Amino acid sequence: MRPVTEEKMMTDEFKTYHPIINFLYFAFMIVCSCIFMHPVCLFISLAGAFTYSIMQNGKKSVKTNILYMLPTVLVMALLNPLFNHQGVTILAYFPDGNPLTFESIIYGIDAAVMVISVIAWFGCCNRIMTSDKMIYLFGRMVPSLSLVLSMTMRFIPKFAKDTKKVCDAQRGIGFDINKGKITTRMKTATKVVSVMLTRSLENSIETADSMKSRGYGTKKRTAFSVFRFDSRDVCMLVMMLIFGAVTVSGVVLGGVRWQYYPQLNFTAGTPYAAITFIAYGMMAFMPVMIDIWEGIRWNVIKSKI
Amino acid sequence: MECYKIENLTFKYPSGTENALSDISLCVNQGEFILLCGKSGCGKTTLLRLLKSVLAPHGEMNGNIYFYEESLDKVAQDIQAEKIGFVMQNPENQAVTDKVWHELAFGLENMGLPNPEIRARVSEMAEFFGITDWFYKDVSELSGGQLQILNLASVMVMEPDVLILDEPTSQLDPIASGEFLKAVGKVNREIGTTIILSEHRLEDSFALADRVVVMDSGKVIADDAPQKVGMQLKAMNHEMVSALPTPMIVADVLTVRDGRIWLEDYFKTCKPCKIEPKTTTVKTDVCAELKDVWFRYDKKSTDVLKGLSLKINRGEFYAIVGGNGTGKTTALSVISGINKPYRGKRKINGKVSVLPQNPQMLFTENTVRADLLIMNPDDSELSAIINDCGISHLLDRHPYDLSGGEIQRCALAKVLLTNPDILLLDEPTKGLDAHFKMKFADIINSLTQKGTTVVTVSHDIEFCARYADRCSMFFDGTITAQSTPYELFGKNRFYTTAAARMARRTLPGAVLAEDIIRACKGEQNE
Repeated sequence: MRPVTEEKMMTDEFKTYHPIINFLYFAFMIVCSCIFMHPVCLFISLAGAFTYSIMQNGKKSVKTNILYMLPTVLVMALLNPLFNHQGVTILAYFPDGNPLTFESIIYGIDAAVMVISVIAWFGCCNRIMTSDKMIYLFGRMVPSLSLVLSMTMRFIPKFAKDTKKVCDAQRGIGFDINKGKITTRMKTATKVVSVMLTRSLENSIETADSMKSRGYGTKKRTAFSVFRFDSRDVCMLVMMLIFGAVTVSGVVLGGVRWQYYPQLNFTAGTPYAAITFIAYGMMAFMPVMIDIWEGIRWNVIKSKI
Repeated sequence: MECYKIENLTFKYPSGTENALSDISLCVNQGEFILLCGKSGCGKTTLLRLLKSVLAPHGEMNGNIYFYEESLDKVAQDIQAEKIGFVMQNPENQAVTDKVWHELAFGLENMGLPNPEIRARVSEMAEFFGITDWFYKDVSELSGGQLQILNLASVMVMEPDVLILDEPTSQLDPIASGEFLKAVGKVNREIGTTIILSEHRLEDSFALADRVVVMDSGKVIADDAPQKVGMQLKAMNHEMVSALPTPMIVADVLTVRDGRIWLEDYFKTCKPCKIEPKTTTVKTDVCAELKDVWFRYDKKSTDVLKGLSLKINRGEFYAIVGGNGTGKTTALSVISGINKPYRGKRKINGKVSVLPQNPQMLFTENTVRADLLIMNPDDSELSAIINDCGISHLLDRHPYDLSGGEIQRCALAKVLLTNPDILLLDEPTKGLDAHFKMKFADIINSLTQKGTTVVTVSHDIEFCARYADRCSMFFDGTITAQSTPYELFGKNRFYTTAAARMARRTLPGAVLAEDIIRACKGEQNE
């Protein structure tokens, strides 16, 4: 039996898009968050990831976010100037004679923000990219792998459940894995492992029979999936391509530049930079916007009824 | 039209000295529902497996098997995979993938069908078997009954002409196996698929079949309509009679409803004699006691045991019956000390050992003998227990090669070597045929006579009613009624033996088939 979570999960429309869309989106956001060290970009990415995780997980994630993020920012902001002495704006000197520079402090803070936003994006990604979606994606690349992955995902919980039963069974006749001398406990543990090995082999014979019986290996396999790439996914893909291209070109073609050492130098205020930031912002907040948009649409439909 | 035609089939395993199947001739017509039964080890599984080439065991085969007038070995593998569906015993091991929808699609993927076609067929099947609610679930979240329905559906999705089921309900509780057989019946009636079902629990399946085939040591000994087969077996005085449904044993009819009518008719002309309940001397020496025990698995989860109190006396056979998920097995784990109650008292005098639901899990060595020897028994004790359990011929076999009944007795021997004062049995009759159940009951009887206390939790009402000294009914985490079997099941209206349900009006207090038979005969003799 699984415990029922009391708190109602927020709806997450982005989750219902095709796995390829999900995957491309997170790949883009995570890579960009790692590379784009412009403070505005960092802020956009962090804000996007933060709002998205709040949307997914509700108030709980505000607490965890702040609890983990603040200390990381502080520690990294403090550590970087201790070891990094580049930069021209010297604020003070350490006892060992090394300078404490303004640039290294700023870089420390920005690097911390980068790390946090990447972690936050991974968190969001984790909640969306469930095992079946991953299996589907890898299956696209290596067809035989998808079945193996799926079978593995079946095997692991079964094995765990079975192991617990064997432990309990052995305990019921006096071989307790949690009690007694370490040597006897080790002996019992070895026994459990050996039983599990035999059992898994035995069971796999039956599984193999069941596979053969259902025609495995008689013809070339197709890979079925419950995912459909429909017009909404096309729409999404086009939007992602446009905003993604604008963002990347802005950085590659020099619309947005950043420099920390020896002196801070960030582009700001130019129209090209503004366009890049807007495009990046659109990307970062896309799942959130989709959700808000769906919410509005829903309310409109409801009000018509 | 004939779906299968088997002519003079003889089969011998490479290691065997005797034929596993000898001279079997059988016809299976299209759309027929055939029930194949017999003691375990009579060759049912061998015969069924020979009906599909990929599953056929290795060995020496003579005779012919025709599938739609074509010799089976000439039918191509992919056609066999599609047209001959096979569902096996163990629900867990048949599921290949991790998601319900993927499991349903697995066979069709193997056939190389395009995605839209698979989608259409899978959704149809999910609808037909009522899987829609758990379509997106993980396979590991399903109960045994759901899993077996899924296995059936993922075979049916290939649209087979014939469905072969090898003891599909032996690992399920009575409620789940009833549901499963209902689904099989639905497939037969509403789609017209030919069914060949092997079973040793005949209560639910006997009335469902068009034809019953009985096997004994590799031969077909009866092949006819259910009612006629029942009468033939009784005429032969065959062991399988004890496996027949109670209405069949008592009155040669298939259902409790007909049995009840038969009894009412019978006692119109003569007066029934009084039912003498089996006399049991109630022991008074309490050796295990639970007092207001409350238990839950997690702090946040709901209570599984709710103020459970029970007293078990030394040397009695105490049975706890009740539905699924009422907390019976949890109660057992609290008695054994594996789980600790968070409120209430547990008093146990003596050593407790447990025979788990799956006895295979006790075996760690390569032979039964080695497995018994690691318990460090002295020689006289060992030979006494081997004798009691009747396993001297099994000692050099590998534990995993034994049948359900055999391994059960070997496991019991291993548990007994711990010298328990209290022996706990978790669903001991699961997967056992009627014959082994009787043997098992004999062993328990000899144990209780020696002063060992035996406590069992079970779904098997008939078994508990027949052999237990006291029974209690478990519901919603506590015991709702407790008494001797005759008082408990004689009083119960719904949750009771088939015999009691049949004889409720005419012979109140009758619990076993024998009671009714004796009552009928007793009157005749006077």
